[in-house]
Amino acid sequence: MSERKGIVPGLVKGLATTARTLTRHTQVEEYPHHRPELPARTRGVIALLAENCTSCMLCARECPDWCIYIDAHKETVPATTPGGRDRQRNVLDRFAIDYSLCMYCGICVEVCPFDALFWSPQFEYAELDIRDLLHEKDRLESWVESVPVPPAPDPGAAEVPEVASQRAPARGPRVVGGGAARPARPARPAPSAPPPGDGEG
Amino acid sequence: MTSLDITFLATGAVTIAAALLAVTTRQLVHSALWLVLSLGGLAGCYLVLGAELVALVQVLVYVGAVVVLVIFALMLTRAPIGPSAEHSTSRLHRALAAVLGAGVSALLLAVLLPLAGREAVARTPVDSSALAGDLFGTWVWPFEAISLLLLSALIGAFSVSRLAGGQTGGPS
Amino acid sequence: MSALELILRAASSLAMLLVLPLLVGQTEHKVMAHMQGRLGPMYAGAYHGWAQLVADGVKFVQKEDLVPAAADKRVFRLAPMLAMVPYLLALAAIPLHPGYAAVEAPASLVFVMAATSIGVLGTLMAGWASANKYALIGALRSAAQLLAYELPMILAVASVALAAGTLSLGGIVEAWSPWWLLWQLPGAFVFLTAAVAELQRPPFDMPIADSEIVFGPYTEYTGLRFALFLLSEYAGIVLFSLLFAVLFLGGWRGPLDDWLGWAWTFGKGFLIALILIWLRVSWPRLREDQLQRLAWLWLIPIALLQLAITAVGVVL
Repeated sequence: MSERKGIVPGLVKGLATTARTLTRHTQVEEYPHHRPELPARTRGVIALLAENCTSCMLCARECPDWCIYIDAHKETVPATTPGGRDRQRNVLDRFAIDYSLCMYCGICVEVCPFDALFWSPQFEYAELDIRDLLHEKDRLESWVESVPVPPAPDPGAAEVPEVASQRAPARGPRVVGGGAARPARPARPAPSAPPPGDGEG
Repeated sequence: MTSLDITFLATGAVTIAAALLAVTTRQLVHSALWLVLSLGGLAGCYLVLGAELVALVQVLVYVGAVVVLVIFALMLTRAPIGPSAEHSTSRLHRALAAVLGAGVSALLLAVLLPLAGREAVARTPVDSSALAGDLFGTWVWPFEAISLLLLSALIGAFSVSRLAGGQTGGPS
Repeated sequence: MSALELILRAASSLAMLLVLPLLVGQTEHKVMAHMQGRLGPMYAGAYHGWAQLVADGVKFVQKEDLVPAAADKRVFRLAPMLAMVPYLLALAAIPLHPGYAAVEAPASLVFVMAATSIGVLGTLMAGWASANKYALIGALRSAAQLLAYELPMILAVASVALAAGTLSLGGIVEAWSPWWLLWQLPGAFVFLTAAVAELQRPPFDMPIADSEIVFGPYTEYTGLRFALFLLSEYAGIVLFSLLFAVLFLGGWRGPLDDWLGWAWTFGKGFLIALILIWLRVSWPRLREDQLQRLAWLWLIPIALLQLAITAVGVVL
């Protein structure tokens, strides 16, 4: 008898739960026909803005599973002023990410000092052959279009570090106690390109 | 011959053939399945004769319950798929069984054939309320005796299983 | 009865057998999906997947018809038909409209019960003939379960027949009155429970418990034969829903039943089918011993009590 008493409320509760779910909206997104609305910071694929890349190899060295391949050569830029010195710059020949190895940790994006790598929410690049997951430079550059505009910070949130550092008073010479202000250093140049993409991804 | 005659003969033939196959087949489960057909054919005979309720109860009880029980019991054994020689009886037993069966059939035929007459099969619909009246009026004592018999068999089976369980596995 | 009428009746009951189970199946797809926060089939047939089961049928027809090498081939091939045909026969005897049933038999109630009891054999034959241990275990469970639940079901049905004083389903509907809803309530409960058990649907799906014994007796079946088993399961839902509606809910009785009697029957039956689906979604599977305990210790006493109550009511 007591066993029975224990059963009936559970049975009723089960019926109630399913009935309640019946009246609610479903959780299903019919993916191929309705595109999912992904948050702006979704880690879908890494896009390369090749103009910003200096072939510094930081990303390739920090990558935990060594899935970034960079080839570059040096080029001599002739002096622009008479008597000036010729300069050398790196020219990127190859930049490839092997997505069959990538674990989407995002360290390369974080570590890039020149804003050449960006996360894009684009995720539809499955392949039938695993070797096709090696994205070469042109393919990586093609993802740039899908990089969305970073969302505005929440109201009351701390300022974005890049902006904050520009607005902060220039640091003085290193004196104990943080003494007098030192002459203002020229502000760091703004990123050469505005954040790429227009958020149509 | 009327169509009723033909139907009756056909169902009767099916019943007899299935019964023979049930006895002679070497496959245990097939035997049970031929029994289904035989009992179903018997129900068909009742139906042709107009005893609808009896036919339906025949199906409900014999096909739906008794044969299911038989098959259930067979499944608990190692009844193999295909003919099994180890379960078949010896030639002597077979001959004796055939003689016995033929003897019983002959006796029954000797009694029943003179009663049968030669007129066509007649359909005499039996009203179920009339049947119930007979069952619980005229035949109530045999009916109750059978129910008592079944009850005692039930209790006997129960006590046997409990007793055996107590000897082997202790009280449960 | 002319030959034309005979053909018409046979064809209509066959159509009922082929269409109504699909309707119930589609309802189950959708209702079950929404009860689980899903959408169910959405693409076949463009509008909310209405043609999903038709597509499934086409798929089943295309599949290879496999018979295991060790199986008892004739029995194996025969089993799906034997599971299917009794439900066809039984469905034909259900009265749908005042004075209309495809087959009008004086003892149609016994006819329906007898026909459904044959359907069990198909499952047993399938389980035994497959030469597969899961199929055999499933068939054993199936036999034990059906033996246990046949009795309370017959007793519950007998109570209704007693109350109506007839064995004809049409007669029962005519004798029905709304007060039966209360009077026959325990019997209705027993009948519904036993019907779910006879259909081997959750929570009584021990015989085909797919997480334990693959698919029980139907494990080895493919293609059209498998589809026949599925069809017979859903035909069974239709049959028992309609039977419940006829026995306990007054079948075609309702406002305007001269014209809308058939709609009342189908509506009430559909409601019961929905309840069967709801139970499937909501409750976990009963263990074998719980299942037997429920049948022998609860349902049979309740059914006997119902018989006694009915007898008192009839005599008074």
